[in-house]
Amino acid sequence: MEDYLNKNIKEILNQFPEIAGVLNDYNIGCVPCQAGSCLLKDIVEIHNLPLEEEQVLMARIAGVLYPGRETKIPRIIRKTGVAIRETSYSPPMKKLVDEHTLIKRMVALIPAMIDSLDLESEAGRQVIRDGIDFIRSYADKYHHAKEEEILFKFFDDNLSIIKTMHEDHETARAHVRAILKALDEKDKEGVSEHLKAYGELLSEHITKEDGILYPWMDRNLSITQVGELFARFNEKEQAFGTLPGKYEGLIENLEEKIIGNRLKEAVK
Amino acid sequence: MTQFEGCPGSRMVDLRDESSQEEITGKVKSQLKQWPIQMHLISPTAPYYQGANVLLTADCVAYALGGFHPEYLKGKAIAIACPKLDEGQEEYIEKVKSWLEDAKINTLTVLIMQVPCCMGLLHLAQQAAQASQRKVPIKAIVVGIKGDILSEQWV
Repeated sequence: MEDYLNKNIKEILNQFPEIAGVLNDYNIGCVPCQAGSCLLKDIVEIHNLPLEEEQVLMARIAGVLYPGRETKIPRIIRKTGVAIRETSYSPPMKKLVDEHTLIKRMVALIPAMIDSLDLESEAGRQVIRDGIDFIRSYADKYHHAKEEEILFKFFDDNLSIIKTMHEDHETARAHVRAILKALDEKDKEGVSEHLKAYGELLSEHITKEDGILYPWMDRNLSITQVGELFARFNEKEQAFGTLPGKYEGLIENLEEKIIGNRLKEAVK
Repeated sequence: MTQFEGCPGSRMVDLRDESSQEEITGKVKSQLKQWPIQMHLISPTAPYYQGANVLLTADCVAYALGGFHPEYLKGKAIAIACPKLDEGQEEYIEKVKSWLEDAKINTLTVLIMQVPCCMGLLHLAQQAAQASQRKVPIKAIVVGIKGDILSEQWV
């Protein structure tokens, strides 16, 4: 079974689709992940199940990989002890989770943006430009930059989970470039397609971060590192000044424009 | 109606029947790297507080927690206080504020007992943090009288 522990989850699920059901039973949300590059052993370690549950999970996976055979179930080496008590996010991690709240409001607007997409009028094109401004400046330069330039540097770049997060960020940036190109060409289908893909990617990405990555990082950061992270995030935020407030206002305006208009149409 | 049993902080509890499964072997090395430690005596800008991870602990904690030195004190600067019995606690708030602003400490961990009177130490730390321009991560750990960790939360 050691060979499979060091395989990425996408390969394993392609070969043994049954394992998807096993993972879902433990709320391990790897099945819909577009990258799927995390190694099985890292996935089990990161989810930090109680030891008895982990053994049952591994036995069930072994049952799918080697049906009808008795297999030795390997223990996953944990870098930190099993959590025996609930802890909240550390303050720096909580800042990132709170920023996700605003990003999720943007993502929630995407279906309505697509439905009411208007590339003929300047006002219609400005809605898309405002959305892209938020994505590039707040979601990317402000939020993702804190992750890539500060948080991820506290961990080994070669970890599959870190690589997956980097890949997600790059894929998101590619969608944004594609949206802008389609906007220039007044290509409604292109804008819709990449907006939808961006929204789906970010939803999944945020779920992975809030539920798995950040708690795992918190378990692996020393108290000294938590303090350093907090101080460096503060410096980054001071450099941005009042911009985060500006983007909160931008989201409110977009919500008013996009959802407000739909409500008015529905009432007519 | 439940019978009033008096103040939980000073209520007598006999733990002699609690059998210890572990044998203690070897000497536990002290992790104390400073003097003084009592909150009225410390200077908040002493060198060992500069940029440090600080442990503000209630007096009784070190007696309840078997692994206090290796698991909690190691690598940290410390101060101890009793939020119920110490006088002049306004000075404590100023000292915590000075840790934050002058010593520019890295983090503050507040270790208290489960008894209600101990919560005052956490409130004191929170008051100082609110009054301070500079913020740091603050963690609150509540220790049971049997030495178990009842909660551990970022404040």
